Amino acid sequence: MPDMQQASPATATPIIGGLSPVLSLVAAALLMVGVVVVAPSFLDTYLVNILIRAFFVAIAAITVDIMWGYCGTLTFGQSAFFGIGVYALAITFTEYGFGTWQVLMALGATLAITAVIAALTGWLSFYPGSTPLYASIVSLVVPIVLVQILYSGGTFTGSSSGLVGFETFDLSFEDWFRLAGLSLIAVAVVALIIMRSDTGRLLTALRDNDARCTYLGIDTSRTRIIVLVLTALVASLAGFGYAAFGAVAAPENASFTFGTRLIIMVALGGRGTVVGAIVGALSIEVASAYLSGSLPYVWELIIGLALIAVILAFPDGLVGVFRKLVRGLHGFQTAEATRLRPVAASTVADKTNELAIEVRELGKHFGSLSVLDGVQFKAHRAELLSLVGPNGAGKTTLIRCLSDGRERSTGHVAIAGQPIDHLPPDRIVRFGLGRKFQTASVFETLTVAECLRVARTQHAPPSLTSTSTVLDLPAAAIAVLERSGLAERLSEAARNLSHGLKQALELAMVLALEPEVLLLDEPTAGLTRAERQGFADILTTLVSRDRLCIVLVEHDLDFVREISSRIIVLHQGRIALDGSVDEVVNSALVREIYTGQPSSAVEAGP
Amino acid sequence: MLTVALDAVTTAALLFIISSGLLIVFGVMKIINFAHAAFVTVGGYAALVGAWLGLPWLLVLPLAFVVGAVCGALTEAVIVRRLYQRPLDAILATWGLGIVIGQLVTLVFGREVQFVQAPITGTVDLAGIDYSAYRLVMIAAAVLIAVLFTGLLSGTRLGLSTRAVIMNEMLAQGLGVNSARVRLVTFAIGSGLAALSGALITPLSSVDPNMGLPWLISAFMLVMVSGGSLLALAVSCLVLGGCQVIVSTFVNPILGGLTIAILAAIVLRIRPEGFARA
Repeated sequence: MPDMQQASPATATPIIGGLSPVLSLVAAALLMVGVVVVAPSFLDTYLVNILIRAFFVAIAAITVDIMWGYCGTLTFGQSAFFGIGVYALAITFTEYGFGTWQVLMALGATLAITAVIAALTGWLSFYPGSTPLYASIVSLVVPIVLVQILYSGGTFTGSSSGLVGFETFDLSFEDWFRLAGLSLIAVAVVALIIMRSDTGRLLTALRDNDARCTYLGIDTSRTRIIVLVLTALVASLAGFGYAAFGAVAAPENASFTFGTRLIIMVALGGRGTVVGAIVGALSIEVASAYLSGSLPYVWELIIGLALIAVILAFPDGLVGVFRKLVRGLHGFQTAEATRLRPVAASTVADKTNELAIEVRELGKHFGSLSVLDGVQFKAHRAELLSLVGPNGAGKTTLIRCLSDGRERSTGHVAIAGQPIDHLPPDRIVRFGLGRKFQTASVFETLTVAECLRVARTQHAPPSLTSTSTVLDLPAAAIAVLERSGLAERLSEAARNLSHGLKQALELAMVLALEPEVLLLDEPTAGLTRAERQGFADILTTLVSRDRLCIVLVEHDLDFVREISSRIIVLHQGRIALDGSVDEVVNSALVREIYTGQPSSAVEAGP
Repeated sequence: MLTVALDAVTTAALLFIISSGLLIVFGVMKIINFAHAAFVTVGGYAALVGAWLGLPWLLVLPLAFVVGAVCGALTEAVIVRRLYQRPLDAILATWGLGIVIGQLVTLVFGREVQFVQAPITGTVDLAGIDYSAYRLVMIAAAVLIAVLFTGLLSGTRLGLSTRAVIMNEMLAQGLGVNSARVRLVTFAIGSGLAALSGALITPLSSVDPNMGLPWLISAFMLVMVSGGSLLALAVSCLVLGGCQVIVSTFVNPILGGLTIAILAAIVLRIRPEGFARA
């Protein structure tokens, strides 16, 4: 269930005043450093005190933004990791006093406990088949469990009243302000650099379309777990700083109420921007400090109403509104152009008759209902095998069973000589399989070039710090881009493409994997005649020149006849015919199915 | 031992009563209503007001249902309807609504914990032990809700439309089912059930602005484990609610409160379809 949000500030980097993104980021960061160093001399002590806490909270809010705004996981659980930092410090200093080794011990405990809990949470939240909604709810459980543990910890955790009165670092307010402020700037700059890099685009791709990522050979669960652990570590360090300054640990610091507060901050400030998280955190923290004392319930009420209003009316938050204004004034400049560069296909494709697909006794059952039964065939390199049959015959199910090891109920499947066992799609893709979905499946908020770069993740790991301007692609993918005209529109957002171009883009993305076996599910559905002809030419070239094995699900018999080297007819979950084009097209069964003569052959579609 | 067994069954009944409204909303809309706890609270306060006015208990229950249903219908029409394409935003907006309702209740009724007298007091003698009569009534209430629910889904035109939307919304729309209306009615019924459950549990617990929250996580996890099926929900309530009672009784109550959430998460990790196809 992908969160179909139109809000996608992540990909748009407006260049203000003609500076490059990197320069403007450095300039902004230096300016903020200056402000943070000078500011405490001008602010009153109460505000300085509040801002120090707000800076640490803002760091935690940035981690929520990365999880939610960029990766698409709405997490209520970052407060738990913040709380682990708070309590690791408070418990250590309370039990063992303050000193160098105690600080190191508290730091070590913070990082170690957080890493373990975050990895466990990730394991519970992200697995093939888990939904974003489910991950959200698990993230809600984490702080609740932690707070219950804190409540039942007696004097060790201070129970409901928390821990106070432990000795901590002896710094002046001004120094704390600078320390917290500089930490926030450092975290923000690192987050912005990574989120604007090719790696950041990969995370956005996860948010846009998890299934497509899986079928590009990316282990999405593992990637999400890694991001969760890293952001959790940062959040726990923020909590460590918060407790070190405040010399207080309260269960509220770990509570899910605080976790939701962090989300509200990010939503109000503007998700997927990093800056929005800071704006939201600082404004809410400061406003609460001044307002929650005088009008406690009304203030909470305002926050609730503001959250609803922002989500309904301004899903991009304050930063999004601001950006729209700025863009209106300056116009919008797109990022640097990307250059395509052909790479030699890394796979050796000269063995003749190499077995590409082997299927034995494949069955798929839902209870007593058999969708596929006893399906058995082989397909070789340089073969274009078409799967035809009425709706409900099991064609798409068969494609699914070939590309996802957990789909079939019985039987054996090998792709490029490797048995797929019960492996998830991303592992099978690495054997040399590419699957194009029935409906165009691309990354809506990424540009054409970025979609293709995500598709190349396996071959060229994305940079953590920069965006590359060169895109290495195999010749087949470049041919698709040039033929379809996409080569001239590389910096255009995928969501603005026509249906036909999205289909072409998805095909190019799949070809960027350099597959040996290509599964295409009705690739020409909804295409114009000209686009369809273009597709036919591309497919025949792929088979004859690149020696791919293509399995094509198609309804249009003329199209099938024109390009196939072999046809399999599926009927009621079994292979009814398997033979050359002439044999199959002229058979009585096919004529019966396709001329619609009354017979048991026609089933209702799903 | 019999007490533990009775506790287990009555706890399961309570969990079922509270989760059923959440389940129907999840089944139809594939979203979790984070304002569910707030609607439970609303029902609790409806019962409190009813008790102040001296209304008979059998009138208070439908009153609570109606109040919840009206709140739910308004929520659907004003907030949730606009967010179907953004399910995560929908749950966040309902969370915002939960905050708003909680604060409004606090502003009107204050933060104090208040109590409602149970309509049926005293105990029943069951095989030598005295057991709270009201808790036993909860079992009947849960069964009644399950029966009414099943009857509504399988015996009425609306139920047919609802099942059609649950199975395949696009197709149902194509066949002329007004899925917007189905969603509105579903959300209203789900919220009404939340309020009804709030009214039912008040005599057992107390009424305060956050009374719905402790139930929320358990209800969420039970619904996730059940995957939209009423029968699966009943099974999950019995199994996981039973575990909760056992842990609370023999280990410690705090761990008991976490049992459902933790067990459900583990069940879903090992068996992603949960109890749905058990």
